[in-house]
Amino acid sequence: MSSYWLGLRIWARHLLLFGLAACAATAHAAFPVVTTTTDLQSLVQVVGGDRVQVTSLVTAGSNPESYTPRPQDLERIRQARMVVRIGLDYDLWLDRLLRQSNITGMQRGGAAHVDSSNAITLLEVKQGGLGGGTHAHGAGNPHFWLDPLNSNVITGNIVEALARLDPTNAKYYEKRRIDFLSELERRVSQWQERLAPLAGRPLLAYHNNWPYMARRFKLNIAATVEPRPGIAPSPASLAKLMRRMRDENIHIIIRQPSEPSKDVDFLAQKANGTVVILATSVGDLPQATDYFSLFEYNVSELLKAYANPAK
Amino acid sequence: MNDAIELLAVPFLACLVLIAIHCQFGLQVLKRNVVFVDLALAQFAALGATVAFMQGHMPNTTAAYAWSLGFAWLAALLLSLIRYAPARVPHEALVGVLYVVAVAAAMLLIEKAPQGAEHLKQILTGSILTTDFSDLAGVVPMYLVIGTILAIAVRRHWFERAGYSGWLADFIFYAAFGLVVTSSVAMAGVLLVFTFLIIPALIGMLFARAEWKQLWVGWLAGVFASVLGLAGSYRLDTSTGATVVCSFGLILGLAFLMRSLGTEKIANSLIPKTIVVASVLVMGISMLWLGIQPKADQPVLDALESQFPSVRHVYLTQQEQLVHTDAQRYIDRYQSEIERLGKLEANARWQAKSLDDEMIQKISSFQQSYNEMVKGERFVMKEVRSRARERLRWPALAMALALLAITSAYFFRSQKRLEDSKRTAE
Repeated sequence: MSSYWLGLRIWARHLLLFGLAACAATAHAAFPVVTTTTDLQSLVQVVGGDRVQVTSLVTAGSNPESYTPRPQDLERIRQARMVVRIGLDYDLWLDRLLRQSNITGMQRGGAAHVDSSNAITLLEVKQGGLGGGTHAHGAGNPHFWLDPLNSNVITGNIVEALARLDPTNAKYYEKRRIDFLSELERRVSQWQERLAPLAGRPLLAYHNNWPYMARRFKLNIAATVEPRPGIAPSPASLAKLMRRMRDENIHIIIRQPSEPSKDVDFLAQKANGTVVILATSVGDLPQATDYFSLFEYNVSELLKAYANPAK
Repeated sequence: MNDAIELLAVPFLACLVLIAIHCQFGLQVLKRNVVFVDLALAQFAALGATVAFMQGHMPNTTAAYAWSLGFAWLAALLLSLIRYAPARVPHEALVGVLYVVAVAAAMLLIEKAPQGAEHLKQILTGSILTTDFSDLAGVVPMYLVIGTILAIAVRRHWFERAGYSGWLADFIFYAAFGLVVTSSVAMAGVLLVFTFLIIPALIGMLFARAEWKQLWVGWLAGVFASVLGLAGSYRLDTSTGATVVCSFGLILGLAFLMRSLGTEKIANSLIPKTIVVASVLVMGISMLWLGIQPKADQPVLDALESQFPSVRHVYLTQQEQLVHTDAQRYIDRYQSEIERLGKLEANARWQAKSLDDEMIQKISSFQQSYNEMVKGERFVMKEVRSRARERLRWPALAMALALLAITSAYFFRSQKRLEDSKRTAE
């Protein structure tokens, strides 16, 4: 073996040792948590403050429903002491990763496994099943974090587990959650007030992402552009939507940034509408940096679109 | 009807324009035996757009277009070099390798910038239905120029030249094709562009020998298949791109059939015989399957029943028929109830009087129970049917055996007749 390779190996070993030491140091300082989505990451951050160190497996802007895990995800899970997921059929890929990690407490039902959908009032549970024109998820529509008041239950689930696993900081977590909830209440009533003029006015959405948001803010999502999740609209269904837009005076179409733009733009152009791009998750758009700014941004974009329809 | 014309007029024009240029290229591509070259070029263009995105250029800007064109031309260069590969290496395989590597490289890059993923996907998944008039106006002049040059090149046999000038002709061919494909894939998507490229050209080759005749036959067949596909997509309420692809496939099948009917000998003997043999075989096998596993899926019988429900009268007793229709009625009722509750909840989201959590949970649990009941009724229907089918077991086996006996007797007789005629000929 040449001395060059030997040198490289020694250097690599030093780097590894240094890295481990650095990890150990942060592990003492902060409680490591892994979440599946950026929204959960934001909520764990809110209640955990600087006592937790939280990573989201799905990076900002990727689609959690079609996520394919990367090799390092296993490492991220092994280094964490708690995992938080959306649950239902939203992040099923996590189960395989957890099985592979082989940590008993992290598996479904384990002490370090937080299913944030626990105790949420779900919408569209088993409604019509496949082909019913609704979301494909048989277990209920999984986009429940888009009702801001549901974060009350979600943070409840998170803090319950955090307090159990990291009891020295339990008081700290609970205090931060109470602060968050009072701020949430203030903001939600503000958002509701601002969106009140739009209550009941019909609009279209590309995908069935919005039932929880619609319920909280009284938005009337009259129809979805895709007839079934993941299926592009046929000419007949586009024609029907065009007619509805004209007859029912619908001028707004909501799209999430990673959803296809062509059909939506086409409809907007044909029926004199405006496309509004809203974030469904933290990090979908640069303006949605955390859980509050996600709603802040969506609310102001909706208002802007209603203020000057048909660009 | 007006809606249909309003929606489908521009897509139809787009089909015409795309078929006109792609059929021309398709004939060349088939001749070179590099069928998937359009996929490789389109994928390289997408890779270029990905790189542009990583450099901070938004899609649909000049910089992004320059990057994708640069990559498409890089692919053209590589493709033109394929002619120097050893003869025993299949060229199509090299095209395939270029394609998969470009796909994988783009995936790796997208992982680094997930927010661009959707823009990039749209480069490869155009949709003919939402094609704009301005999209068309942008490409038609370019297609005209390229198409004319290609026609001249074919007429003057530029591609058959050896040596350096042959390579140059090849390179320009692929570079021009890269230009065409980059725009057409963004308009119509990979599947449809492949179809426009290959199927009209194939049909042309099937019916004509001279290249200009092949082109005309291909164009006509393409126009016909597009009309069929677009109209079908509206009537059947299905995705336009996929329907048009299927209609092209259908027309190709018909073309093959017509071609073989055209040769008299085959028409007189082979086709009727094939149809008879195929239907006897299908019947025999499904009878045999019904005899062996009456409770399993019976594709032929099921298809027959779904088209003509009265088939059931043949083998269900009066009582069974009653149970069957009753179960169907209950299913319809439960499903309409599920839908009604769903609508109630969805409307309550925005109406003045909203539902509280408890009410929503109640609705969910009702819907779930109705769904369970639907499953129960479906089970009843299936059970009634499979029990009745079990009674058919022995008759079906007997029929299958009878069919087998008849066909083998027929087969031996015709074999013998063939031998006899051979002997007399000798």
